[in-house]
Amino acid sequence: MQLLINIVVLASIYALIACGYVLIYRVSRVLNLAHGELMMFGAYLVLACSSLFAGHPVMALCAAVILSIVTGALVYIFLMRKMTGEMVLAAILTTVALGILVRGVVVLVWSSQQQYPAQALGISNPTFTLPGDGHISLWSLVLVLTNLAAYGALFGFLRFGRWGMRMRAAGQNPLLAAQRGINLHGVYALAWSLSTLTGALAGILMALDSGVTGSMPVIALKAFPAALVGGLDSLGGALIGALIVAGAEVLLIYYVDPLLSDVVPFLVLVAMLFVRPWGLFGTREELDRV
Amino acid sequence: MFRPTPRASGYFRTDYAQDLALLQTRAERIGLAALVAILVTLPFVATPFLLDLACQVFLASIGALSLMLLTGYAGQISLGHAGLIAAGAFTTGILTREIHAPFWLTLPASALTGVVLGLVFGLPSLRLRGLYLAVSTLALHFIVIYLGGEYETKRGFSTGILIEKPSLGGFKLTDGRAWYFVLLIFAAATLLICVNLLRSRSGRAWRAIHARETVAEALGISISGYKLLAFVISSAMTSVAGCLFAYYRGVVSIEAFDLFLSIQYVAMIIIGGMGSLLGALLGAAFVTVFPYAIEALLKLLPNVQKLAGDIFAVNYASFGVVMILFLILEPLGLVGIWRRLQNYFLLWPFKYKPLAGTRK
Amino acid sequence: MLKRTLLGAIAICALTIPASAQDAYVVGLTGALTGPPSSTYAPAVDALGLYIDRVNAAGGVNGKKIQLILEDDGAQPSKAAANTKKLITQDKAVLILNASLSSTYAPVIAETQAAGVPLLFASSVCPKSVYPPAEPLQFCTTGFAANYDSQATLDFIKARAKGPVKIGFSAMAIPLSRGEIDYAENLSKEMGMTPVDKEVIPPPTADYTSFATKLKDAGPNWVYSWAPWVTQVRTLEALRKLGWQDDYVAWGHLEAESELSRLKDGKFFVVNSNALFQEALPIHKEIEEAAKKAGSKYPAATMAEGWIAGMAIEAALKGAGWPADPAKLKASMENLKVDTKGLRGGPIEWTKDNHFRTKLYYRVYTWSGDKISRVQDWKSYDVK
Repeated sequence: MQLLINIVVLASIYALIACGYVLIYRVSRVLNLAHGELMMFGAYLVLACSSLFAGHPVMALCAAVILSIVTGALVYIFLMRKMTGEMVLAAILTTVALGILVRGVVVLVWSSQQQYPAQALGISNPTFTLPGDGHISLWSLVLVLTNLAAYGALFGFLRFGRWGMRMRAAGQNPLLAAQRGINLHGVYALAWSLSTLTGALAGILMALDSGVTGSMPVIALKAFPAALVGGLDSLGGALIGALIVAGAEVLLIYYVDPLLSDVVPFLVLVAMLFVRPWGLFGTREELDRV
Repeated sequence: MFRPTPRASGYFRTDYAQDLALLQTRAERIGLAALVAILVTLPFVATPFLLDLACQVFLASIGALSLMLLTGYAGQISLGHAGLIAAGAFTTGILTREIHAPFWLTLPASALTGVVLGLVFGLPSLRLRGLYLAVSTLALHFIVIYLGGEYETKRGFSTGILIEKPSLGGFKLTDGRAWYFVLLIFAAATLLICVNLLRSRSGRAWRAIHARETVAEALGISISGYKLLAFVISSAMTSVAGCLFAYYRGVVSIEAFDLFLSIQYVAMIIIGGMGSLLGALLGAAFVTVFPYAIEALLKLLPNVQKLAGDIFAVNYASFGVVMILFLILEPLGLVGIWRRLQNYFLLWPFKYKPLAGTRK
Repeated sequence: MLKRTLLGAIAICALTIPASAQDAYVVGLTGALTGPPSSTYAPAVDALGLYIDRVNAAGGVNGKKIQLILEDDGAQPSKAAANTKKLITQDKAVLILNASLSSTYAPVIAETQAAGVPLLFASSVCPKSVYPPAEPLQFCTTGFAANYDSQATLDFIKARAKGPVKIGFSAMAIPLSRGEIDYAENLSKEMGMTPVDKEVIPPPTADYTSFATKLKDAGPNWVYSWAPWVTQVRTLEALRKLGWQDDYVAWGHLEAESELSRLKDGKFFVVNSNALFQEALPIHKEIEEAAKKAGSKYPAATMAEGWIAGMAIEAALKGAGWPADPAKLKASMENLKVDTKGLRGGPIEWTKDNHFRTKLYYRVYTWSGDKISRVQDWKSYDVK
């Protein structure tokens, strides 16, 4: 039972992070390697907001979430917009540079110490016992639910929403989409803010569960194989991919060797790349060369 | 270096020997002689710290050149470069610790490791392209690091594998100056190999594959063979760089080869300018020297003592800022600036090419 | 191309050579001041800076000021080596300090040895080369040290446990931590305990519960962790989340004090070689005031380690006289006794072949009711 919970929680973490990669990749074919840093930034925003709205944890959380959406849009408007049409590798490198910048800023503003937003907000993290002697902490539970809600909302949005449809169109053929009058910059900016939002949610909830340090971005890198196994341009794929990677990781830790957990996601990934390079649910495509 | 540089008029090549010569005009020969003279005298005037920086640049150049060969010319993206450097360094470390292998044995052994890994790293390239290929090489990076970490822990080298400085013909390489020349020679040799490879059949094949695989295949180029060749050659050179790194620093530990190193190498070739060996050299120098330069510049600011605790964070962040500015403002890289500079003098006193006819 | 960059660098460096170089003691430090591991080192370096400022304000050592030059290596071995080279050759530092990950040790050691400059590990874990018989040029003031820490911890467990001990271990997947936990595992067998499980946890881990589940299912009644703070405390939190209620011992890093009062866990023990600020000794007050005055970002409770390093540096420079050179300083450091004024259980003593401590002292703290309390007072171990 506990193993099952562990898998679900870890899969939710990976899935919530992975959908950020997918959103941006799907519309603009750019791999956002600053995703982890933006996620961490979201967690630190909670800290900032908690001192701003002392005594109102809900207000502080909402403010942090809104700020992270704005951050995503700003990143696109001031940075990634300039990279539209450039070499894909250059765009990826730009996100790397952004990541470095964010890390520097975080150390500058919040120092490199471990911080506990939950403590700053004055909220606790009780544990629930589930039938079958499983334990789950409040914020892990919230994370699982948030993940489900986020995926549900994104599915609905992309399937039925007006802007969602535009996003899909831009992803399929940007030139055609632009010529049909779709505001490409608007669509891309939206993708960036949504991606930052989901990333920040993951970061915030993880930070509420167990604190935040400057090493948080590395976790996002481990979520990356999940996105790739499922197919980089498929949301549903990211969910399944996260389950596979998390399942493999948790089971290997328990039954084989904990040390493997670092390598396993990437082994799964290599196996996947050999069999179905475009992922379980991805679309087959010819990728740009350098 | 390889791309025909613009020349003044009146220069004709009249036989094949001239066509094959690396240096074709007197100006080029004089330029090279001057460069060699500067590089040779530098260690006698520079401080040991600058010498160390120069050595780092040479090491980075070897890595950047080999990555440029693979990515800039053959068009295969790799994010596993740090893994390859680590592989070379660990081969050296393990061989010296376990069987006290001398320099002349570890160097080819590292190259051999590189060849083997190049084949392994290259295999996915037969099926994958672009980003997916990059990610598969990333996976191999993690595997190499994992194996290295296991070795370190199992043998109890928790602070890294220590390596004796190598001796060449009874002469022990400890002096910074000696190292400078050794690394300079290796970097120059790598450059020469790259230049010649690119002028040969394989170089042309790589560029054909890079441009369009289908056409290349129709021209009778063995796609898989040449792709693997690119990986093998590039990896072998990178592993040699790893071996030299291990000897130069006297220590090998997994912490030295993190993902950030791979990214730094990619940054080198992009900032330097894709598809140019000169770009690889410029990029290697820029990315290596840059953090030190920023640090030095920031320390010039007034009241810096007050900031003491923050200065390094500022330093780190500004590395990101400058990289961003570079990517946005100069997409062609350093080599783009270099070419503009060249054209400026070539066309002087005109600003643009006058009477630019139909040809570009 | 190359030459242009290098010439540029020469120009920049030429401009930055400090004008005041030679009327002060120059001490150079290379440390992990940025990057993920910096949380262990940055507060200590901050504290060291405060201490040196205070010494300078009070007139310096032997009438001369101490100039502390900081360089950031971001825990990169290559950068650390370059920093050291610069500090020695360009800034003419008479003493090099290392406050960084263990992967930077070897290159820094190589550089200092080549130049004959003493090297002090301050806030980074003591390498075995400072234990007797010590390498001539390496010294260490840091509180935590391989092997002795585990010895002290297991002794504490043995004394505290009533029945048989089934012990679980948790380490971070870095060679240093793994090596120590392996040592502890063997030692625990010799001491008649039963090691039941050992979890080696990679540093970037999203959820520690998976590791904790395995640890818990092995059924230990004690768990010992010797790793960076993150791993120690998150393993504990995950175990508690799973309903494991037995005793947990970890090493008391800089963060220990604030974390003990955050967790409020009566069965969480930290073994420490520094006195916690809870004790409110006069020296603690002094540090708190200095930190407040300087407006430091880090809580005073994280500063003892840097303060101790500062004391050792001051004493060593005093013994070396003016003008100091590396050789004189080395001679002074080989025969040194630093009064830690209660920050540690006793003085730091260095001799010709012991550059670590002749005696180590450990205290154990936990949370009881409403405050941090001491469960074991200084217990000393001879270093041989």
